Amino acid sequence: MADEDDFERPRWKVWLLNRFVLTPVILLVIALGWDLYASMNNDGLIVGRVVDAQGNPVADADVSLWIFNFTTFNENKHVTSGPDGVFTITGNPSHNVQVTAQKPGLGASPRVPIRLYFRSQNVTLKEPLVLPGA
Amino acid sequence: MRRYPRWPIHLALILTSFVMLVPFYWVFKTSISGENIFNYPPSIIPRNPNLFYYVDVWYAIPFARYFLNSVIVTVLTIAANIVLNAMAGYALTRDSYLGLALPQFSTIICIFVFKASFDAIPASLIDAAKVDGLSEWRIIWTIMMPLAKSAMATNVILSFIWSWNNFLWPLIMTRSPEMQTLPLGLSRFLSYQEDTTGALYAFCIMVLAPGILLFLLAQKEFIQGLTSGATKG
Repeated sequence: MADEDDFERPRWKVWLLNRFVLTPVILLVIALGWDLYASMNNDGLIVGRVVDAQGNPVADADVSLWIFNFTTFNENKHVTSGPDGVFTITGNPSHNVQVTAQKPGLGASPRVPIRLYFRSQNVTLKEPLVLPGA
Repeated sequence: MRRYPRWPIHLALILTSFVMLVPFYWVFKTSISGENIFNYPPSIIPRNPNLFYYVDVWYAIPFARYFLNSVIVTVLTIAANIVLNAMAGYALTRDSYLGLALPQFSTIICIFVFKASFDAIPASLIDAAKVDGLSEWRIIWTIMMPLAKSAMATNVILSFIWSWNNFLWPLIMTRSPEMQTLPLGLSRFLSYQEDTTGALYAFCIMVLAPGILLFLLAQKEFIQGLTSGATKG
């Protein structure tokens, strides 16, 4: 709302430079910035590593992606870890997933929940999936 | 004149504010922690706070669509309220049949907020406008309304809250899911989710936030509008 001293200011300043206009504009800029960030980081990539109980990389481990569907997690994709234990899941469509790894002889890792800030957000797991060993 | 210490008043106000704000804090805390209200012992500080329950709400229902619906309905309501309440408030300062009929088209509280605000304007100003040949319509919009900004802000906030929170009327009126507003979205959301604690509270925060923001922006004018005429001798 305009104050008494507004009569001395140019009319466009009175109409545009007040908290009722600036606050929505700031919120809009934040929302657009977030949308831009999301659109540049939504390839659905999940990158991680599989290691054994001693921390050595595990090649050819079967890594599976589980996607939350209303009340339960359903299995969605499988990839295999490379020689350095690194795996890359592509095309994750969700924002609430779990990943797990297993290899015959080395057992299966616990399911690791991954919560994302938007669907298909690219993410690199900080902690590796650990296979407990035989 | 004897002066009394002011600290007991401030202490009472702080305690009252605390009691009033605790539920808001609790809703916010649960929305970022997901801790069930029946958890024992209850934690005052949220454990492992995160924003993922807000993400769940965003994707569980078409939140953006419902938000847009609520915004459109509320903006229309506010615009209609401002026009009709201002007209009715002005009509009530005169003796007319219109003044008796118009309150039924809008909200009585806001009409009297306008009336109190218009009453505070000197009658000589209106008389001068009439002498200058202004119609009643132009007197309202060019003389009275610029002087009744606090009443307008009060009207905007009250009609915003009533329209934003309205559940029954949209429930009766809407058939298509695309036309539903946020309160209906909340009931739909409850039927979708199994474990609703964190996400439900996050939804509440997302619905409440625009109203709180609007109040914080216009609180000065809102209080002025409600107290306008209250101290008139």
